[in-house]
Amino acid sequence: MTRKVLVASCTLAGLFLAGSLSAHHSPSAIFDMGNPIVVKGTLTKVEWVNPHIRVLVDAQGRDGSSETWQIESQPPSWFKHVGLGRADFAKAIGQAVTVVGVPARNGSRYAYLQKLTFVDGNSIEVERGGGETKP
Amino acid sequence: MTKIILGALTVGLLSAGLMSAEQNAKRTVSTVPRTADGHPDLSGGWTYAIDIAPVALKKVINGQTTTIRVDQSARHGVAENIAGTLPWTKAPSYKPEFHAKVADLAAQESKVDGVFYCGRPGVPRIGSPRRIIQLRGELIFLYEDISGNTFRTIPTDGRKHRQDGDPSYYGDAVGHWEGDTLVVDTTNFVEDTWFGEEGYFHSDALHVIERLWRVGDNLAYQVTVDDPKVLTQPWTNFPRLIKPSNVPLEESPVCKEDDGHRLLNLDHHLQR
Repeated sequence: MTRKVLVASCTLAGLFLAGSLSAHHSPSAIFDMGNPIVVKGTLTKVEWVNPHIRVLVDAQGRDGSSETWQIESQPPSWFKHVGLGRADFAKAIGQAVTVVGVPARNGSRYAYLQKLTFVDGNSIEVERGGGETKP
Repeated sequence: MTKIILGALTVGLLSAGLMSAEQNAKRTVSTVPRTADGHPDLSGGWTYAIDIAPVALKKVINGQTTTIRVDQSARHGVAENIAGTLPWTKAPSYKPEFHAKVADLAAQESKVDGVFYCGRPGVPRIGSPRRIIQLRGELIFLYEDISGNTFRTIPTDGRKHRQDGDPSYYGDAVGHWEGDTLVVDTTNFVEDTWFGEEGYFHSDALHVIERLWRVGDNLAYQVTVDDPKVLTQPWTNFPRLIKPSNVPLEESPVCKEDDGHRLLNLDHHLQR
C-alpha cells in the first residue's frame, strides 16, 4: 500500500523550525529547513543504527508511482533515554503512518523526522527544550 | 575595651567557622561509601556523558501528551563549588605555529573529524565512564558510545605504564589514589583522534590525566590534557558532576553513517 507525498503548507514551517536535528552536523548542511514536507505511506522497515535511526516509508509519488523515503532521526541512545526503543517503531511495520519532516536539499528521498503519527492517532515529535529530564 | 570585645568576637566567629569547616569535612568523608581497602567506592552506573541533540520528545499516547528531555549535565555545565577541583580554562593553548591548523580543522570538522563518521572518540572525548567496576588493585571503566561500546582497565597496584603496548584510541592507563581522588594517567595514543571540539588535534605525546572523586551520591570528573609537542602548557578542562544512573548499559547499535555524502556545506555543531 502506498500513500501520497505532500508538500506542507507554509504555515507549518514555523512549527518544524522549532525542532533541532542531528548532533553531528548542522541540519542546514543537509536539509531544507524552510520547506517541510508530509509523507503519507506505509512504514516498511526500521533501521536501528547509529548515529541516526532511519525508518523507511513507501509512499505514492506525484506521478502515481511508488517511491521509498528514508526518514532519519535521533541516535538510538537519545531514544533510549527518552524511553523509546526500536519496537515502538517496528510495531507499525506494514501500517499507515504520516511523517512530517524536512527533506534533503540534494533532492533525494531523504528527510529528517519532525513528527510521526501512527495509524491509531498516537504520535511522537522532536522539539526543542522543555519537559521532564531523564538521566 | 571595645577592641578587646571585638577581638574576642572575631576569634569566636573564626573558631566557629573553622570548626564548621572541619565538621563538614568529616561529615563529607564519613558519608563517602568505601571499599574494603578503604578507598572511596566509585563503582556503579553513571549518567550518559556523550553529546546528543538538545531536543525533547513530545509523545501523544491515547490523547495524553508528555514531553521528555535527556539530562546532559554529565557533558555540559560546569560543576560549581566543588572541593578538589583544579583551576581550568575554556580552551587549550596551542603553540603559535599550530594556530592555523587548529582553525582549519575546526572549520572542516564535519568533513575531517573521524567521530562524525563512526570513529572512536578516544580519551578524553569519550567522556566519563557509564559504569565503573572497582576491584582490589584495578578499576574497569565501561563506556557506551556511538562508535561501539568499549572498556578501559585501570590498574591501581602501583605498576608503571607498559613499554610493549601498541598505540591505541584509548591508550594505556594506570591509576593511583591521591587521598580520596582517583587519578588515571593515560598515554600511548594513536594520533588520529582529537581531544576536544574545535580541531583539538594532538601528537603521539598526548598525555591525559583524569581525576574522579565522590561528592555525596555523585561523581566529580575533571580532565587535564598535556601534549608538549603541540601545546604551550597542560590544559585542564572544567569539572563535571556525574549523577548516578540506573539506565542499563546496553550494546550500542552498529554505526552506519549515511550523511557525509549529503553535506552541502560545512555547518556543524554539538560535537564533543
